[in-house]
Amino acid sequence: MSFEPKILGIACNWCTYTGADLAGTTRLQYPQNLRVVRVMCSSRINPSFIFRAFQLGADGVLVGGCHPGDCHYNTGNLYARRRLAVTKKILEFAGIEPGRFRVEWISASEGNKFAEVVKEFTEQVKTLGPQTKFKIGHEPSLE
Amino acid sequence: MTINFKQIEDKLKAEAKRLLDEGKVSIVLAYGKGYDEKHPMPYVARKTSDVENIIFNEFCTANMARYLVRYPRGTKIAIAVKPADSRAVVQLIQEDKVKRDDLVVLGIPVYGMKNFKTGKTIDSKTTCGLYNPVLYDILLGEEVHGQPVISPYGILADYERIGKDERWAFWKKELDKCIRCYACRKACPMCYCDPCFIDQNKPKWGEKSPESHGNLMYHLTRFHHLAGRCIDCGECSRACPVDIPLYLFHKKVAKECEEMFGQAAGMKIEDKPALVNFRVDDSDKILE
Repeated sequence: MSFEPKILGIACNWCTYTGADLAGTTRLQYPQNLRVVRVMCSSRINPSFIFRAFQLGADGVLVGGCHPGDCHYNTGNLYARRRLAVTKKILEFAGIEPGRFRVEWISASEGNKFAEVVKEFTEQVKTLGPQTKFKIGHEPSLE
Repeated sequence: MTINFKQIEDKLKAEAKRLLDEGKVSIVLAYGKGYDEKHPMPYVARKTSDVENIIFNEFCTANMARYLVRYPRGTKIAIAVKPADSRAVVQLIQEDKVKRDDLVVLGIPVYGMKNFKTGKTIDSKTTCGLYNPVLYDILLGEEVHGQPVISPYGILADYERIGKDERWAFWKKELDKCIRCYACRKACPMCYCDPCFIDQNKPKWGEKSPESHGNLMYHLTRFHHLAGRCIDCGECSRACPVDIPLYLFHKKVAKECEEMFGQAAGMKIEDKPALVNFRVDDSDKILE
């Protein structure tokens, strides 16, 4: 059986989540490895969410937000851009493959782009294989 | 040129006495005697008679900026700062934790401090490599010139070169040693959150017992919280009872922040901390 990665998608309510909706309503096919969590803005994303996702067994994390300048809250994604850039560098220096974490700006009208990005990212994570470094093995305290 | 610690101590005492006498400050943050000469303690002088207990020697490594945020806003404070500590003061002013007008900064240009645990001189590669405070009202001693210029990020090259798997093995080994005493948090002038994210139960961000994954969560998030704010005093690694080289990761994050956002933490009062600021023309390349 081939490896099917678990990918966490964190999508901004106003752009990427609506874009994902559009991809659905236009019947675009994309891999089912993505589990989407909706947040109100990409700057809502606490970097600890990403560390936690990797610990709880995600093989990749995809963050989607509005294009810079298009944020529903004017400046949210501009803060998020800086913050997530640092998160990426931290993951890289800690030893996680940088390809497992990706930030993509997808607007509400870009259903095609959403499907493309998910396809591409899933392929990329598949070639990287299972993420074992951060993943917690059996931890009774988590049950 | 060598540092005359006795002379600095005398000047520190004289200035502290004068400031307390004139009523310009109500608190002087400096160093006091511990159980012996080699173990000085942070000391708070509140009265003129307390000034006699102030000392300064090569073992006074603690970062006194740690204690600035403990006092109510508006308290007039005089603080003795070494070069790295002065950056912490600047950073705290940037973050509006203390007001510049409330502070009298007693700058101490110094190098060749010693680690009280090992008794050895601290390798300047593990700290920010400054010799003179970036902010002071009164300078105790003369400015240091002509010392070798040390790049604060030079020590990182070895760790950036090795592959990610070896790096992961290295950090796993180091972070697994952590006993969660939180000495790094207590020693850090920038760690002032109350409560710290790791002490919260709802949401529970990470395991509080010294387990591998909880340690990872605590340290990675702490590195992230100090991104663009860490002033590279190296006090976290010196406070660590199990000698985790935390300064390496902090240096790496500080280096990336400086490259991406073009400012080092705690150098100018007018700056805003890098992560609570943005530029519209920040490049998307930083995300790659």
